[in-house]
Amino acid sequence: MGVLEIHHLSKNFGGTQVINDFSLKITELTLCCLVGPNGAGKTTTMDLISGRQKPSSGQIVFRNDDITGLGEHEIARRGIGRKFQVPAVFRDLSVRHNLEVAFSRETNPFRNMMHRKPKGLREKLDEVLQLTGLGSRLETEAGVLSHGETQWLEIGMVLMQNPSILLLDEPVAGMTESEIENTIKIFNRLKKTNTLIVVEHDMAFVREIADVVTVMHMGSLLAQGTIGEVEADPRVRDVYLGDPED
Amino acid sequence: MSGVVAKARVEKAGMTNLYHSKTAQWAVYAVFFVAVGVVPLITSDSFLLNQFAVYGVYAMLAVSISLGWGFGGILNLGQGIAFGLAAYGMGMTMQMQSQDPVSSPIPPFMLNNSLDHLPALWVPFSNTTLGIILALAVPTLFYVIFGTLVFAARVSGPFIAIMTLAVLSALNTLIIDMQPYTNGVNGLTPPSPLKLFGADIDPYGATSYWIVFGLLVLTTCGAKLLTQSKFGLVTQALRGDPERVRFLGYNVAVYETVIYAISGFIAAVAGCCFVMLVQYVSPAQLDTNFSIGMVIWVGIGGRFSLIGSIIGALMIQGGQSYLGDQFLNSWLLVLGGFFILVVRFLPKGLAGLLETVLGMVGTRRRSSPLPQAAGAADMPSQ
Repeated sequence: MGVLEIHHLSKNFGGTQVINDFSLKITELTLCCLVGPNGAGKTTTMDLISGRQKPSSGQIVFRNDDITGLGEHEIARRGIGRKFQVPAVFRDLSVRHNLEVAFSRETNPFRNMMHRKPKGLREKLDEVLQLTGLGSRLETEAGVLSHGETQWLEIGMVLMQNPSILLLDEPVAGMTESEIENTIKIFNRLKKTNTLIVVEHDMAFVREIADVVTVMHMGSLLAQGTIGEVEADPRVRDVYLGDPED
Repeated sequence: MSGVVAKARVEKAGMTNLYHSKTAQWAVYAVFFVAVGVVPLITSDSFLLNQFAVYGVYAMLAVSISLGWGFGGILNLGQGIAFGLAAYGMGMTMQMQSQDPVSSPIPPFMLNNSLDHLPALWVPFSNTTLGIILALAVPTLFYVIFGTLVFAARVSGPFIAIMTLAVLSALNTLIIDMQPYTNGVNGLTPPSPLKLFGADIDPYGATSYWIVFGLLVLTTCGAKLLTQSKFGLVTQALRGDPERVRFLGYNVAVYETVIYAISGFIAAVAGCCFVMLVQYVSPAQLDTNFSIGMVIWVGIGGRFSLIGSIIGALMIQGGQSYLGDQFLNSWLLVLGGFFILVVRFLPKGLAGLLETVLGMVGTRRRSSPLPQAAGAADMPSQ
């Protein structure tokens, strides 16, 4: 039984079919990498799951609940956290405040007027800081962080939400080699306690972290399996990886 | 684990900017309010006292704009909606206080407009308590409804500014057109001061000054506490990126509507005080120039700081009263030029200038060879 199931999902933008009868099952406590050439519909799939866009047809089921077409905040409250392709942090707030805002156990505005430091915040903050190593940057304005730190901050924000599933769009884009190595460590620790879907182009990175690799092409599922199986698949080599012999 | 926390503490100590210290902020509030609070003990000039109380009203308006715009990201060019509606509510209440149910049941201007009985719209204002409650509740409710419609449709940025301005302008025209009910352009001039609990509140006396002062302290401190709460943190986040806040699980439209309505409520309190002080209300209170003026005060003072916004309002309105006489018609040019300079060189207003200066002082102190500074320099290299 999958924690997240996508059934026959389709999405078209003014006649252009971007997602075409795409189905996927995500098993609990696995890290699934979503790969594919540009325009394959990876980010759109993320948008459809997280509610940023509404599917034209099909169904998205999360823990046996139909979440198709719900608002972004409703989907987030059910435990689906999202990191964006272009890191989206609150640039004029400090790292600490970014993480505090993301701690969204209580979302009612009136109850949030009553307290400054909600229960459980401190423990969660320590946990996330330990994982992301941002402890020394707590009071820094997020806008002046380096690119890698910004990526980690956004991953940290998703973790503060305490989600059951993390959707991470290109988490290592623009990172240096050593930053990528650090991120690999973070992800391999995360997948022991969380379910993750990661969109990524960097195949070396995918090889290090993925339990399952899903290849998309032209809005449909092209292949799925372990990294070895996928890399051996001639269709995948054809449209995406290229022939290693070349 | 404990290393991370320790490191964080060192970094915090190293980053000291007095401007961001909550203790220092509250200390500034205390000093400011004590200074303003002792005015009636120093002067017995009733004209001056009344004028300062009116400045208190402007200060409340500045707080309301700063809360909505600075902390909620809602550029509201129509704060005169709440201010004006509340002012009319208060004006109607005070007008009815001077009517006698037997000898003169309806205000004289209605007779001139050939009304022979009190319109239903006016009836609730015969009761002072109900009148004041309505004066505060109607504008707040208006903001709740307007906010719900606009924010649920994800209207934002300059479009909010245009819509609030348009509504204000429409309301202004409506009040002028409803001559028999509002006395049109002339407005209402209640003949006697507000009576509360059987006593006259002399608009030129210390009591009215204390009332305005008390309400200013309450609204400012309330707003300050609000900005320091989790709610305030969420609104400051959505000011920069509402889209991202939605994906954290917050209903952005609800947060925007709530802070917009609170801002409107504070402006409504200001509207009631204004009429209590000047015994007069007219469509001028819903003039677009006045509402845009409020945004200019706050822009100059610093919209991210409540007290900065108050100082901005006092400076501009004070300047207008005292320097305006010397510059006559060119005052608006002086004000406009000043505003352009601030927007160009001080995007965070005068409060932002203070933040930068205090930050520089803090850095200089850190670079001197203090043991704490040396510790901070070692730590971040990991």
